[in-house]
Amino acid sequence: MIQLILAQASGAAPADWVLFFGHFHPLIVHLPIGFLLIAGLLELDRLTRRNSVSSHTITLILFWSAVSATMACIAGYMLSQGGGYEADTLDTHKWEGIGVAVFAWLAWAVKSENLGRIIPFAQLLYLPALGFSLALLLAAGHLGGNLTHGSDYLTQYMPSPLRTLAGVPPKAPVFKAEPITDVNQAMVYQQIVNPILQTRCVQCHNAQKSKGGLRMDTPDMLKKGYEDGPVFVAGKATASELIKVCLLPEDDDHHMPPKGKTQLKESQIALLTWWIDQGAPFNRKVSELTVNEAIRPVLASLTGGGPVDAGGAAVASRPDGPAPESPVLTMKVPAANPAVMEELKKAGLLVLPLSKEKNQLEVSAVNARNFNDAQAALLPKVSNQLVWLKLGDTNISDAALAQIAKLKNLQKLHLEQTKVTDAGLKQLKGLANLEYLNLYGTAVTDAGLADLVALKNLKTVYLWQTKVTEQGLTTLRKNRPDLDVISGINEQEVAAFNKASSAETKEEEPKKN
Amino acid sequence: MDIQDQIHDQLSRRNFLGQASAGLGTIALASLLNPVNLFAGTSSSDNPTVGKPHFPPKVKRVIYLFQSGAPSQLELFDYKPKLEAMWGQDLPASVRNGQRLTGMSAGQSRFPLAASKYKFAQYGPGRMWLSELLPHTARIASDLTFIRSLHTEAINHDPAITFFQTGSQQAGRPSFGSWVSYGLGSDNQNLPAFVVLLSKGRDGDQPLYAKLWSNGFLPSVHQGVVFRSGPDPVYYLNNPPGVDKSSRRRMLDYLGKLHQEQFKRVLDPEINSRMAQYEMAYRMQASVPETLDISKEPDYIFDLYGPESRKPGTFAANCLLARKLVEKDVKFVQLYHQGWDQHGNLPNDIKTQAKSVDQASAALVIDLKQRGLLDDTLVIWGGEFGRGAYSQGKLTRDNYGRDHHPRAFSVWMAGAGVKKGMVYGETDDFGYNVVNEPVHVHDFQATILHLLGVDHEKLTFKSQGRRYRLTDVHGKIVKPILA
Repeated sequence: MIQLILAQASGAAPADWVLFFGHFHPLIVHLPIGFLLIAGLLELDRLTRRNSVSSHTITLILFWSAVSATMACIAGYMLSQGGGYEADTLDTHKWEGIGVAVFAWLAWAVKSENLGRIIPFAQLLYLPALGFSLALLLAAGHLGGNLTHGSDYLTQYMPSPLRTLAGVPPKAPVFKAEPITDVNQAMVYQQIVNPILQTRCVQCHNAQKSKGGLRMDTPDMLKKGYEDGPVFVAGKATASELIKVCLLPEDDDHHMPPKGKTQLKESQIALLTWWIDQGAPFNRKVSELTVNEAIRPVLASLTGGGPVDAGGAAVASRPDGPAPESPVLTMKVPAANPAVMEELKKAGLLVLPLSKEKNQLEVSAVNARNFNDAQAALLPKVSNQLVWLKLGDTNISDAALAQIAKLKNLQKLHLEQTKVTDAGLKQLKGLANLEYLNLYGTAVTDAGLADLVALKNLKTVYLWQTKVTEQGLTTLRKNRPDLDVISGINEQEVAAFNKASSAETKEEEPKKN
Repeated sequence: MDIQDQIHDQLSRRNFLGQASAGLGTIALASLLNPVNLFAGTSSSDNPTVGKPHFPPKVKRVIYLFQSGAPSQLELFDYKPKLEAMWGQDLPASVRNGQRLTGMSAGQSRFPLAASKYKFAQYGPGRMWLSELLPHTARIASDLTFIRSLHTEAINHDPAITFFQTGSQQAGRPSFGSWVSYGLGSDNQNLPAFVVLLSKGRDGDQPLYAKLWSNGFLPSVHQGVVFRSGPDPVYYLNNPPGVDKSSRRRMLDYLGKLHQEQFKRVLDPEINSRMAQYEMAYRMQASVPETLDISKEPDYIFDLYGPESRKPGTFAANCLLARKLVEKDVKFVQLYHQGWDQHGNLPNDIKTQAKSVDQASAALVIDLKQRGLLDDTLVIWGGEFGRGAYSQGKLTRDNYGRDHHPRAFSVWMAGAGVKKGMVYGETDDFGYNVVNEPVHVHDFQATILHLLGVDHEKLTFKSQGRRYRLTDVHGKIVKPILA
């Protein structure tokens, strides 16, 4: 079985269950720790007072120490297949752990009555074996802790007098960056760059400890560079040592921060790169530098998502990106009451969340052609969440629009092929967020269009197969030039469209080449 | 062997060994730790993001007018006056640049450049070039978004079309529509989320295979359902003679109970899939005739789509059906139109072929727009690759052919989420290589998924030990075309 495990584990990617058992290692290791320490303490007791537990008991404890230490070794090996541990420490820890198990077995063997008799010098071997096992146990335990929690975990909060005694370097003062409230006004070096350097670099590049002859704790020292030259070339991030060493593979000897230390995040490297590309200024605000598309979201994340101005005069708008979303789609709304959603579903409606992370809802009557005015009273119960409403081809009439008028966050409204009329449209005046209104196949007339003019955010209105006249369309287009008025195609226009192939679209007057 | 033995056989061999490979103890432990998820690894509950968009979608529905056989971009969309100037001269080696050719033209001693026999003109506010073969499409130029710089990896039809539809040249992965059905679910529980409609422009062209709308390793409810025009749109949907609606219902209820029993025994998620499909078929017996009923369409709508729209099984009739389907919120309607593989006699054949799609494609966009559907529906028109700048076979002024060309071709889109009247990407003077803004097939797929509210990197399914995506490990969203 064990051979099978090891054979599998030596393959390219460890099987899930190898890691699954491996994850039991931190649990199992505490068994030999407890058992062996108890064995050692009882043995000490026996040696000093000579009237303690029987030697049988200690043999039993030693047996289980050895068994559990062996299991801990196997589980530990499986865990190490997952990778991510510092290789040297892991190696030492492994051999120390194996040592614990070997000496525990030896101590048990020489202590046990049956085996002890056939092993020469059993009595002489016993105490050294137990002693080695205990010593290795402490060492392996310490390294195991370092592997899991980091080598500075133990001494992180060590008081200064103890630090001096133990030879641990003095505790670095905790760096506190000035919080950024408005990222456009933030000082680039002081509030963005320096906090990264302080938390990731200064630990080894400071007044006491300047690895490579480099100090990064002050602007002057940073400009001074390291023993082989400057660490950054203002305006050229890709030629700057500071960025290069961060981008090297983590295994590379020159990679910074060194392997095993907390690494820079991609966003932090991006910020440093941007800062150097902008000339590495030490007293400028974000708004005084050029903010390009790549860095904008990173900067925005510093404050938790506020908008970032383009900065300088460089980037005025975003011609390449998509148009901004309506606020009703981006804002946070509480989740709809499940009982109400159930009611809506009972009325035959489909209730669809807009996305995984949003509580906004789309409600559709695609399969509820009998949906009527009375049932429309259910809709205001989700007025916070409801943004897209599809009631096309249902039994609703103007009465339902009184309820729909309460849906303040509505962005898209389908009323096509229903009995709604001009009278109903008057009720919609308050829908300040409405962008899409579908009225095709209704009895709406020119009179009703006057009420649409007041819907300031309305972008598209569909008026095909209504009683609206050419005159009415012209007036609406004149009053609201920003509004896309879709009137569709009528029989005469279809006839003209049909001629396209023979007439070669003379109406379009294309520029022939 | 009776059914009892079969169940035992199933249990002991496939399920027992398959699920219990780590030993009974692990199963016991797993069921203690999390009884619900014991067998979850094989079902969609493996991925909690499934069934809802990752972010609010711009596009709720897709109609993909797939032009199978690869339409020539040089006769339809990509205007290259240089080919006229250099007509008959050899394709410069620097342009071909070692490009692999198919066995059909690789042996040619010369590669004489062939100019389009058909004239081009500019249309719409974007001044986009379109050929005289597409007079109706020219009418909707202001609604179109062109990508002129698509490129693919395959040079033959089957791998190329499989690549476009599944993200892999090898068969076996789920198709685009299946991924959408799996990732977003349905907006109408009475119809499948993924419907396929087939037509052909001329006979003797490249065949189509059911694998193109297969669910691959996804649960089989996500498979594309083929609809046909005419009185019996879905095979085997109607009750056989002598079986009425209520006896059908009773049969399904009892069958459901049997399935439940079977599922309890073998825990195969495909049983749930099968049950869902039976129930879907039952609902479709009512919803399909109603949805596809074209008897109430006025004459001028048929006229809009062209005379062929009255003839079941044509591209035009399918375009009309596609509109009917998206009116009912079917998520992904995939049309395949065969007949674009013009290796020889191209000028004549492409004229016939273009005529079979031009009016109906444009009519579909116009019709969707006036009904308010183009606001959240995306229409895509394109083939699996393009065609080369040199003539395959003999070149004369009136006749020539074109071989497959994967390095550059055009696709148009119309509808939600993309910039209207925009032309993205650029090819060289020969229409041979992309010189600006290339778009790989995976980029294209990533962009469509993005428009549907799906992060293409997060829509995954674990199969045979690793997670798969439509875009595999590739794909960058083409942001500049997003509206």
